[in-house]
Amino acid sequence: MTAKTSEGKEIYNTERHYHPQATDCRSNKMLYGAQVKTQYIRDTSLQPFETKDESFEIFLPEGVRTVDVTVSLRYEIWKPDHMIEIARIDKKVSLDR
Amino acid sequence: MKFFKSFLVVCLVMIPISALGQKAKTIEELAAMYDSTSCKECHAEIYAQWENSHHARSLMGVLGGLFMTPLAMKDKTPFSPNDPKEATLDTFPCFKCHLPQAVISADDDFAKDYATALIAQDKARIDTLRITCIVCHNTKAIIHKRSEGHPEANVLYGTKEVAEHDDKRFKKVKKSSIMDHAIMCGQCHGMGPNLEFENPVQCATLYGSYMHNYLSKGGQKQCQECHMQKVDGVADHLLAPNWNDLEGTKKLLQEAITLDIDTVGYDWLLKSKDHKPMVVVNTRVNQNAGHRIPDG
Repeated sequence: MTAKTSEGKEIYNTERHYHPQATDCRSNKMLYGAQVKTQYIRDTSLQPFETKDESFEIFLPEGVRTVDVTVSLRYEIWKPDHMIEIARIDKKVSLDR
Repeated sequence: MKFFKSFLVVCLVMIPISALGQKAKTIEELAAMYDSTSCKECHAEIYAQWENSHHARSLMGVLGGLFMTPLAMKDKTPFSPNDPKEATLDTFPCFKCHLPQAVISADDDFAKDYATALIAQDKARIDTLRITCIVCHNTKAIIHKRSEGHPEANVLYGTKEVAEHDDKRFKKVKKSSIMDHAIMCGQCHGMGPNLEFENPVQCATLYGSYMHNYLSKGGQKQCQECHMQKVDGVADHLLAPNWNDLEGTKKLLQEAITLDIDTVGYDWLLKSKDHKPMVVVNTRVNQNAGHRIPDG
C-alpha cells in the first residue's frame, strides 16, 4: 500500500504478507524448501470463507491535505518478479471538504 | 543365426520392461513405461490440456526450474549423496508425489541416472518424466487396496466404466471409487509434514487445509469441481492453475479473492490544540476457495 502527494511524492509505503511460514524445528529460522520444512510456526494465509481486515493510519506531513492511495493485492509465485496483481484500488483521499 | 539375433533384439526392444516385471534403471526406461502419448489419438483435447498442466512437468517446477537439484548436490540437503553416483531412491523423497511411478517401478540405478541428469541440468531428459495419464488413471486410482485390490496392469480407471477400450495395452476402463473425490488429489496435494522419511519433508498442505478449514465451515465442493471444471462436457485436465500462465492464474485467483477498501481523511485530535492530519485506509480481503491461499 502506498500514499503519494498530489505532486507524486511517496509519503507512505507498507506491506502485509499473507502466507504460511515454516521452520525445520531445529531452530527458529524460517525456511523455504520442502526438503527442510518440518512444521508451520505461523500461518497468515487467506483462509476459506474468512476476511482479512487491516487498518492503516497515515500521518500526513505538514501542508499535505490530499493523498493518492494505492492498495495492491499481489500473488508472488516462486520469486518476487514472477508476480500477479489480483486487485488494485486507487483512491484520492482529502481532509478538506 | 544372424537373422535370429536380429529378431531377438527387435523383440526385446518392443516388449516394455514393465511387462517383464522389471524396474526401470534409466530415465528413458521409466518414461517409456509410463508413456501416455497413445492416449492423444482419441483424447486429443484432454491430452492438449494436460500437456500445459504442471502434471506434465512435475519435475520442472515453475518456469522450468529443476527444483530437485539441491537433493543431488553434496551437503545441500539432509538427503544429498556425496556423489550423484551414490544416489538411491531414498535421496529423492519428492518422488512420492512428483514422480510416484519411480517409487514402484524404478530402482536405485534410476536414482543415480536422475541425480546425474540433475547435476548436468539436463532438462531435455528430465522433462520426459511426467505425471502421465497412467499415473492418475492407474497407479493412483485405487486407495482401498485391501478392499479393491491393486490397480490391474491392463486397466485404466475413471469416473465411469468402459467395457471395451480401444487401446493396445489398456483394454478396459473400470470405475474408480475416488476419481471424482477430493481424496484423489489429496494423495499428493498433502496434509502436512511427511514423517515416513528419515528427515521430515513438507510440501503441499492443501488437502489438510481443505479438510480442516473448508469442510468445517460448510464447504462441500470436491477439488475437481473447481480445478477440473467441465469444458464441453469433459473435465478440464489443465488442472489450473498453470503457474507459468500469469493471465490464466490471475483469472482464477480473482474468482476466489476480493479486495475492498474504505478510507477517511480527518484531523485527529490527540491532545488539546494538537490536530494531526491523518488518512485511514481500511482494507478487507475475502477468499472463498476450498483451501488456504497461498499454500505450502
